[in-house]
Amino acid sequence: MAEHRQRPRRRGQGELEAQVLSALREADGPVTAGWVQDRLGGDLAYTTVITILTRLLAKGAVTRERAGRSFSWTPASDQAGLAARKMRKMLDAESDREAVLASFVTGLGPDDERLLRELLGQSRSEGED
Amino acid sequence: MGVFVFLPLVLPLTAWPIARLAEQHLHPRTATRLLTGVAGVMATCSTVCLGLVMVVGTAQLPGNPLPDGWSDPEVRAAVPYDEVAGKAAIPALCAVLVACGRTLWRHGRVRRRAHRALAGLPGTEVAVLPDEVPYAYALPGGRRNRVVVTTALLDCLEPAERRALFAHERAHLAARHHRFLLAVQLAARANPFLRPLRTAVSYTAERWADEEAAQAVGSRRTVARAIGKAALVARGTPVATLAGLAAPGPVPRRVTALLGPAPLVRSWPSVFTAVGLAAWGAAAGAAVSAMSSANSAVTMFFILYAATPL
Repeated sequence: MAEHRQRPRRRGQGELEAQVLSALREADGPVTAGWVQDRLGGDLAYTTVITILTRLLAKGAVTRERAGRSFSWTPASDQAGLAARKMRKMLDAESDREAVLASFVTGLGPDDERLLRELLGQSRSEGED
Repeated sequence: MGVFVFLPLVLPLTAWPIARLAEQHLHPRTATRLLTGVAGVMATCSTVCLGLVMVVGTAQLPGNPLPDGWSDPEVRAAVPYDEVAGKAAIPALCAVLVACGRTLWRHGRVRRRAHRALAGLPGTEVAVLPDEVPYAYALPGGRRNRVVVTTALLDCLEPAERRALFAHERAHLAARHHRFLLAVQLAARANPFLRPLRTAVSYTAERWADEEAAQAVGSRRTVARAIGKAALVARGTPVATLAGLAAPGPVPRRVTALLGPAPLVRSWPSVFTAVGLAAWGAAAGAAVSAMSSANSAVTMFFILYAATPL
């Protein structure tokens, strides 16, 4: 039957899952199932993509969040990267974040860098004594 | 009473020397608590007095919803009822309320957004973000307090220095430093003369966390190196000041303090040294100004209370 439909060969489930995952990883942020379908070429049905994504979700390999009426999907391994991007976006947007988040170090003044290097050099040589 | 009602608005100026001295000579923990307390009291008194000036100054204006008794000649004799001051107090009070409201709202928003950004990560205390921008901070609240740090910052530190960094951020969270910072920020919004106290407290809170970290890792020098390296890596935009006049910024001062001996946990220096005399003088000034603020507020409250027909 497979030959009758002119499919090159029957792809294993693991292979499809890997393809969907790699497509998600190439995406720049969360994407929809339709985007994944386009990315993988036309011969995969939309429902198949959804099935695979749901299976990956059950395995914990991807996460999804509601975006309007559908879901947008993200590879789970990229959660840290996604969090980093979101955090940067927030930090860049909030001009007086310094007041809320006690930052480990603050900006250096014009002379501070030289002064700091002297202090660190001094500390290192004392430490070696 | 007379002009005394205006004193709480300018008396925060007397807290400037104490901010400077406390920052330099007290244990950072004592300094943070003391300065935050002083700032809170002065800001409250100044706002209350602003409100009272407004009430008395505008009570006689037609169409005012306030009781007529508040503009009674006897009340006017006891308190300044200058219409100009009263009218000027209205926008001033509105500005204070709006600025404080905005500060609170922004504080909540930054914390909410930061927690939301971390929502997808496992709920560990330390969240390491893969980012080439080096930064680290303590994020209070949410489901749990978290320490956020990027891989770029961790990469430039040695293991002992990383421990120092984590100890520093944990100290911020354990001592609830964000509350001190929020309090002085609100105070600075309520009365711009209190701004030096905000700067001082944000420095002493960092110093406090530095000292806690030094105790936790058992080496002041390690903490100093961690701060120095992080600052050099995170360099970012230099603060715009005149290079020739620039005093050392907070980071070199923190490193210098850590390279020196640990601060003593004594509450106050002896009155017989020059520093002690200055500190005691400044403290007395601050106390007097706080008391006269409170006195004006209470006196006006009772005058108006007596003048209100019940």
